Amino acid sequence: MIRIEKPAWDTMVSHAEKTFPKECCGVMLGSTGVVREAVPLPNAYTGPQEDFFVMDPHDLNRVDAQARNNGLEIVGIFHSHPDCDAYFSRRDLENSCSWFSYVVLSVKSGRFDHANSYRPDFDQKDAPKEELIYG
Amino acid sequence: MAKVLIPTPLRQYAGKQDSVDLAGKTVAEVLNSLTSQYADLRRHLYNDEGKLRSFVNVYVNDDDIRYLEKEATPLKDSDVVSIVPSIAGGSAGVAAPPATLSKEEILRYSRHLIMPEVGMEGQLKLKNAKVALIGTGGLGAPLGMYLAAAGIGRIGLVDFDVVDFTNLQRQVIHGTKDVGRKKLDSAADTMLDINPFIEIDRHETALSSENALQILRDYDIVVDGTDNFPTRYLVNDACVLLGKPNVYGSIFRFEGQATVFAYEGGPCYRCLYPEPPPPGLVPSCAEGGVLGILPGTVGLIQATETVKLILGIGEPLVGRLLLYDALAMRFRELKLRRNPECPVCGDHPTIHELIDYQQFCGIPNQPHEPAPVEGDIEPTEVKAKMDRGDEFVLIDVREPHEYQICSIPNAKLIPLGDLPKRVNELNSADEIVAHCKSGMRSAKAVEFLKQSGFRKVRNMKGGILAWSDKVDPTVPKY
Repeated sequence: MIRIEKPAWDTMVSHAEKTFPKECCGVMLGSTGVVREAVPLPNAYTGPQEDFFVMDPHDLNRVDAQARNNGLEIVGIFHSHPDCDAYFSRRDLENSCSWFSYVVLSVKSGRFDHANSYRPDFDQKDAPKEELIYG
Repeated sequence: MAKVLIPTPLRQYAGKQDSVDLAGKTVAEVLNSLTSQYADLRRHLYNDEGKLRSFVNVYVNDDDIRYLEKEATPLKDSDVVSIVPSIAGGSAGVAAPPATLSKEEILRYSRHLIMPEVGMEGQLKLKNAKVALIGTGGLGAPLGMYLAAAGIGRIGLVDFDVVDFTNLQRQVIHGTKDVGRKKLDSAADTMLDINPFIEIDRHETALSSENALQILRDYDIVVDGTDNFPTRYLVNDACVLLGKPNVYGSIFRFEGQATVFAYEGGPCYRCLYPEPPPPGLVPSCAEGGVLGILPGTVGLIQATETVKLILGIGEPLVGRLLLYDALAMRFRELKLRRNPECPVCGDHPTIHELIDYQQFCGIPNQPHEPAPVEGDIEPTEVKAKMDRGDEFVLIDVREPHEYQICSIPNAKLIPLGDLPKRVNELNSADEIVAHCKSGMRSAKAVEFLKQSGFRKVRNMKGGILAWSDKVDPTVPKY
């Protein structure tokens, strides 16, 4: 189960809608099962960003240090799926990291539609859905 | 001593510490010492073979060790080692493979499931497969219906056309009620009615050099159901460049062909036909006609090959061109080999990106409204001449079986092919107007007559189809 507090959730939705029709990405900070803060990050992918995102490891490292200083930890990663559903795609799975919850936000015609959260396994073979509570 | 920063999500496995100071001369030594001290960390960083997991990046200070000496990168005392996960992803139009079939799906696919060649494993392969179907016409109709029924999980349809009455004699995916609708919607409705457990992507566009790679990239197999040369070369080249098999079929009158191109080591369409035929030499189905059942047979051969490729069973139709003659009811096979000199799939390819296929096939760039040719005459003007009682000869250069469908009163039938030997039936002093179905063949007739010394010949613009539109709506269109 993952619970995203309202300010963090609002940040995520607004980042996803603003980045539409491209994919957005960012990091969720908090402690086990609870997200207190969301940090939008630039999509570092150099190709078409409509269906792909990459995080710059330096950005991630910086946010991790920031979290550490505030007594938080990175609990998850969020990204958007513009004009399609919030499934966990093969690409998502192949690039996933088992340390995190992955929240996927479906944005359709520029508006938030729905979201799901997934917990990928160590081997990037499966990512069961987990309960997601937000707002 | 090097300092290893523990990423926050892993602190719980490292005694809640933010960083650990460890002795070691290289990255490997330090990480080894870390994971022996904190055994729970090990599985988060290493896989069962003892390799760093693919999503784990290690930085020494600001540098990724992949660009240094990897895990053998030497460390100094003041160095800081960070462990950073690599994070990426994206919708890419593909859901992750479902691991099971629902109860309803098991019931639906039971006749597949009880065959060991398909079974649960094979049916899941079908469900996880992504097939692009170019065109939802003659070949696309049976393809779409049977691929949907077979349970191909994701089918991408590419079409921009609208259903019309002349389609219904063979394009069984569309019905009479669908005339005027987008073929994409009509086809998708039929397919989802047959099988609601599949997903359909609708690409409402003409496949082009600009969009082909982007559209086809996300599919495993491409099935070509088109009927023109530029698109065939385009689909072929895109499949070769993307490394995806191209399940090919073509139809004309009573004959069909099918094969699988661009399959590992096999030939491609260009190996068979390095150059397109001159424009106009090979008639299309609209010009030459097609037995309505023919695309059913050929499309289902394509569907069979598609399903075999996905299941990995049987002998794929690779390196063999299957020829089907419906009148003789005979199948023959020609051997095809990959051409090592092929410009796209050969040993030293010269084509590395998509080109302008209209130009390659000698088709001028989209003259939507052809410039009026000197000597063209409107059907309404022909009618006016008739009504005025002007002296002129109207010749119909279509075939006798077309003349039986419909004709214009007092038109003299001289099929284009017979014109050279029957030209003596015409008098070069007479004013002559030629017509055919749509104006193409009669233009050739006019050209021929002019070369034979006729001066007063004109081509009726748009043929008998335009006559039906503009002069006499009781004349049926075909």
